[in-house]
Amino acid sequence: MKKIINAPENFVDEFVAGILLAHPDLVKTPGDDLRVLVRADAPLAGKVGIVTGGGSGHLPLFKGYVGMGLCSGVAIGNVFSSPSSDQIFQATKAVNGGAGVLYLYGNYGGDVFNFDLASDLAELEDIPTRTALGRDDVASQPRERKHDRRGVAGILFAYKAAGAAAERGDSLEQVAAIAEDVIEHTATIGIGLAPTILPTTGKPSFELPDGEMEIGIGIHGEPGSRRGPLESADQIAEHLTTALVEDLGLQAGSRVAVLVNGLGATPLEELYLLYRKTHQFLTDRGIEIVKNYIGEYATSLEMAGASISLLELNDERLELLRAPARSPFFQEG
Amino acid sequence: MQGKEINDHIRRSLAVLIESADELRDLDQALGDGDLGITITAGSNAVITDLGNLPDDATPTEIARTCAKAFANANPSTMAALVAGALLSGSRIWEDKEEIGLSEAADFVSAAAASIAQRGKTQVGDKTILDGIAAAADALAAASDSAEACSAVADAAGRAVRDTKDLQSRRGRASWLQERSIGLADPGATAFQRFAEAWSRVSTPSQ
Repeated sequence: MKKIINAPENFVDEFVAGILLAHPDLVKTPGDDLRVLVRADAPLAGKVGIVTGGGSGHLPLFKGYVGMGLCSGVAIGNVFSSPSSDQIFQATKAVNGGAGVLYLYGNYGGDVFNFDLASDLAELEDIPTRTALGRDDVASQPRERKHDRRGVAGILFAYKAAGAAAERGDSLEQVAAIAEDVIEHTATIGIGLAPTILPTTGKPSFELPDGEMEIGIGIHGEPGSRRGPLESADQIAEHLTTALVEDLGLQAGSRVAVLVNGLGATPLEELYLLYRKTHQFLTDRGIEIVKNYIGEYATSLEMAGASISLLELNDERLELLRAPARSPFFQEG
Repeated sequence: MQGKEINDHIRRSLAVLIESADELRDLDQALGDGDLGITITAGSNAVITDLGNLPDDATPTEIARTCAKAFANANPSTMAALVAGALLSGSRIWEDKEEIGLSEAADFVSAAAASIAQRGKTQVGDKTILDGIAAAADALAAASDSAEACSAVADAAGRAVRDTKDLQSRRGRASWLQERSIGLADPGATAFQRFAEAWSRVSTPSQ
């Protein structure tokens, strides 16, 4: 294992400390626990708070999307492990401006248990909460079981839209409904080329022979729908985009936002190769790309690979995507 | 029972439960990831400490909520989150009650079982802690006096655990073993059985 780290057990606390030192104008810890981050101006009186969270190892996910027009707070777990219910509860209290708190995070068992328990704790202190789960990974379950899908990079769209809605003063019910609406119209699929090595165990997150790729890989290296020989960038883009267009039922005249996301060790050049073909493929079918995001938005440490996400747009979703936002890793307007 | 008595009883029962930590760890290593021993030890110790810091006039609901928070935070695991959610669910039933009798106890355990079924997306017969708790809820509902209830609950939980041996695990990591899980007692249900036995044991003055 070759990594730029100190003691592996300090990995998470140390990168969080780095974020705090680099961006004191944007984020803060409400207490002593480095595993709870909130936006620097939290709580905002009268506005809905949005708390996300999950395991570390996915930057900019999750802690990178805390800021104006995005999430209000985050609870940070160990690498690929859920934060505790108490950390989620601390984040909840710190962002509660009296209008309630939306829990918006990816659909993973451990996270669900801990967020549900945090919602119990919040209820005891009269803080109403709602939950919306990112479930965009089309390779993890077929369409008819979409509510059981994993949450991956496409949650960015839900953060952006729900965050904009909260910022403009929507109610908790409205912010939750917007998050659900965006999740419903988001689909993601990824490919993995090489695993990451977990800092604490020194073990690879999966094994893959030379010359092969895993299609439909999850952001913890979960197996995908199939494994096959490595294809060209154009073939990969076409296969992934085809799956997404089918899943969302897009047709000529549809408008979309596209996210081409690197999983950690794949260069931007390769992501732009994927975007090129994705753009051609969609345009050829009369599907208009209104917004694009290309870069690292949800990683798996240094896993090699990429994912493509589509959000089907209508006027309201587009307006929310275009609203201003600012966090340590994301800026709009 | 009133607050102070309940508080004392929980602390004494958990001190007994911790003696089963090695057994639970070994059972969990066979079926899961082996962290149940730590969950029980760290959780019980945290509950004992936090209950000790409560005032004598703390209500039964406050006591249940203190248990939930301490248990969940001591070692954040799925089991800890499920148990804590179950305790909070039970505490909502009690509201401002000061005196907990047989029927309040039965309502609490029923609500706890419902919470675990809902949060854990599980049902009786899936070979989980729910099998033990649901059996206890039934035994409490059928009991006519509290002295009889304590041993009836412990017996019912023990029977439920014996029954889990013949079942295949259907939830959590244990379900990955599929038919290889048959023949092994469920660790979560066993943990509940040991707690019910401990509760019954500290209830018997002559011991």
